[in-house]
Amino acid sequence: MPLDARPCACSDAAPPCAVVERERIVVADDRAQAAGIVSGLRLASARARLPELVVQPRDPAQESAALTRLACSAGAFTSEVSLAPPATLLLEIACSLRFFGGVERLFAGIVQAATEQGLRVQAALAPTPLAAQWLAFAGGADAGFGTPASLDAAPLAHRLGVLPLARLALPAAQEKRLAAFGAGTLADVLRLPRAGLARRVGADFVADLARALGEIPDPRARFVFPEHFSQTLELPARSESALALAFAARRLIAALSGWLAARAAGIRECFLDLRCERTTGAPPALTLSLSFAEVTRDAQRIGRVLDERLARLQLPASVESLCLRATAPEPLAGREAALFAADGSSARGHAARGAGGATIAELIERLQARLGEHGVYRLAAHPEHRPENATQKNAPLARQDAQGTGVAQHGPRPLWLLPAPQALSEQGGRPQRGGPLHLLAGPERIESGWWDEGEPSAVGDVRRDYFIAVSQRCEWLWIFRSEAGWFLHGLFA
Amino acid sequence: MNAVPRLDDILTRADVWRGGVMATSVQPGLPTGFAELDAELPGGGWARGGLCELLPTRTGVGELSLLLPALARLSASELSWVVCVAPPHPLHAPALAQGGIALERLLIAGAPGRDAAWTCARALDTDGVGAVVAWLPGADATLLRRLHLAAEANRSLLFVFRPAACAAEASPAPLRLQLDGEGERLRVHILKRRGAACALPLSLAVPRPALLPAASLPAAMPACAQAAPTLSPSSPPPLSSLSSLPPSSHALARPVPAALAARRASLRLF
Repeated sequence: MPLDARPCACSDAAPPCAVVERERIVVADDRAQAAGIVSGLRLASARARLPELVVQPRDPAQESAALTRLACSAGAFTSEVSLAPPATLLLEIACSLRFFGGVERLFAGIVQAATEQGLRVQAALAPTPLAAQWLAFAGGADAGFGTPASLDAAPLAHRLGVLPLARLALPAAQEKRLAAFGAGTLADVLRLPRAGLARRVGADFVADLARALGEIPDPRARFVFPEHFSQTLELPARSESALALAFAARRLIAALSGWLAARAAGIRECFLDLRCERTTGAPPALTLSLSFAEVTRDAQRIGRVLDERLARLQLPASVESLCLRATAPEPLAGREAALFAADGSSARGHAARGAGGATIAELIERLQARLGEHGVYRLAAHPEHRPENATQKNAPLARQDAQGTGVAQHGPRPLWLLPAPQALSEQGGRPQRGGPLHLLAGPERIESGWWDEGEPSAVGDVRRDYFIAVSQRCEWLWIFRSEAGWFLHGLFA
Repeated sequence: MNAVPRLDDILTRADVWRGGVMATSVQPGLPTGFAELDAELPGGGWARGGLCELLPTRTGVGELSLLLPALARLSASELSWVVCVAPPHPLHAPALAQGGIALERLLIAGAPGRDAAWTCARALDTDGVGAVVAWLPGADATLLRRLHLAAEANRSLLFVFRPAACAAEASPAPLRLQLDGEGERLRVHILKRRGAACALPLSLAVPRPALLPAASLPAAMPACAQAAPTLSPSSPPPLSSLSSLPPSSHALARPVPAALAARRASLRLF
């Protein structure tokens, strides 16, 4: 059962605007329509009626990109998507009804997803693709033609009957012919004998009628989800604000998430190119790489990581367009719905969520996006005598081997280890830190590391005698003596 | 409509406590590992879900050792994550492993400045995080209250270290402990808890790396004869003579060729 969506290239900018092609208005927004600007009007007449009208030329490439983006985002609902250019998308949703909790819920979800893509849609629901297409052309649910939205075949003829022929986007010759019969609505046509109709209007029109009523099958070509995801979004106005960019990028992320769902895949990394205004000295594009701790296709999760990256970003110039790329999708098993979901239904997109909080992988990737790749880490004990090398920083969620060989044979170690040993003054042969230190245990000789002597950023050869000392202020310290004197190296916190 | 509840019924509720007696808690706390401290805390341990403010007078008095038993239990037995936010110095992994912490479930976030509180809030929103240990020297009461509510909602432990000077300020934390060293023990003064005030500071035997000699408290520092026998003020011995100490306390990671050892001994004298 298909569903129709008809994007119109309209924006909600303050002045009334319209799109023109060959000096004629193609589509006008609400305010322009209120002033009498209708499609088909000459540009000169439109200017006369509304001098402040903002006119944009029609851009077929951008329209088809919007349709592809919409098709990708529809992948979140069903894998059976077909395009009917220039501006129609058909979704087969019978297989998705149960998962999304019924027709009404699913229909509302699809309309909302399309609206979030920034498109105004006319959507309708019918048991056959052509019927849905006609219902949507006639205005969809908003115009009252689609209601009640149902997939029942029985009332279909009645629902189609009320549609005015003028709005079905029929070929001009057919429409003129039918108007000459005095037929105003589809019901008038259905009342006529089919054989005569075929002779006088054409066999194609009669076959279309039969397809719309479900009397003969109506196979449609499937939309092939592309192998690699790369979608560009032109911003309506140049922007420097991270908030505006994040909002615009949400559309691309929704499309990415739908594309991944349709391909049963997830990503570990994706790239967002910010194409900037051409200024001297600034690079034309800036690429943000968004990486995730595990394979994901959750749009909210991708969006959160992007927000953190954008908040940190210094833009060299205003951004004109965004391009989201994902080149290496990895297989990801089907969507998991929470067993005890809050609203009692398996809503879309809530993959692998617990009772309300995020998972530890989501935490890690968010922290990494904000604090930097090396700001978040795990520790591992490394069997090495030099204390500086006994702690290893590992990437979070990397697989850690069970350590422990060779580290058991040393004395007590402090919880804090200073990043660099601090020199202690010496008075009368005794190290000082707020008074003379009291040596309690030691020495523990550590003499090791001749192999990386002289290498950059290596600890090098050390020869140290470590002592446990307590200061007059009851600080427990780990100090050592080397050729250069006394040093504080750790605190027994 | 229900009848007006009686005062006695209200007073027996777990979330109502009277100033004179210690509060009871519906949920038993996480044992701290120190029986004296457990006896003085409502619920018999660290409250699961809530902020605990720790005010050490200086570093190195045993402030982290106080938390180690509870953190070890969380990460090793309960398999939950422990997140350390903005530690002031690098943590040393062998010591943490010795303390029983499962290092594979210890996450460290080096978050400077205002990011530290943000990191805490994100960690407290996360499933599977048992405890957050944070160093927030610049936190104000509003921020602490927000973090406390987040910890309560997620039922995870939140320990915040602040400078001891903050003890005089008001704080939304239900439990505030001032920590100070006392020889080889840790003196814990409970500044605030749910219920009656705790007049006397506790003295806890936190694990220490060495023993203090019986008669030597830092106030009167005698010569440390037994501990470092070769350290006499007049003649500090060369390192080569120190190497005659028992081999158990040495780490020597290489076979020293005889000629090289002799050359070093001749070159590297004090």
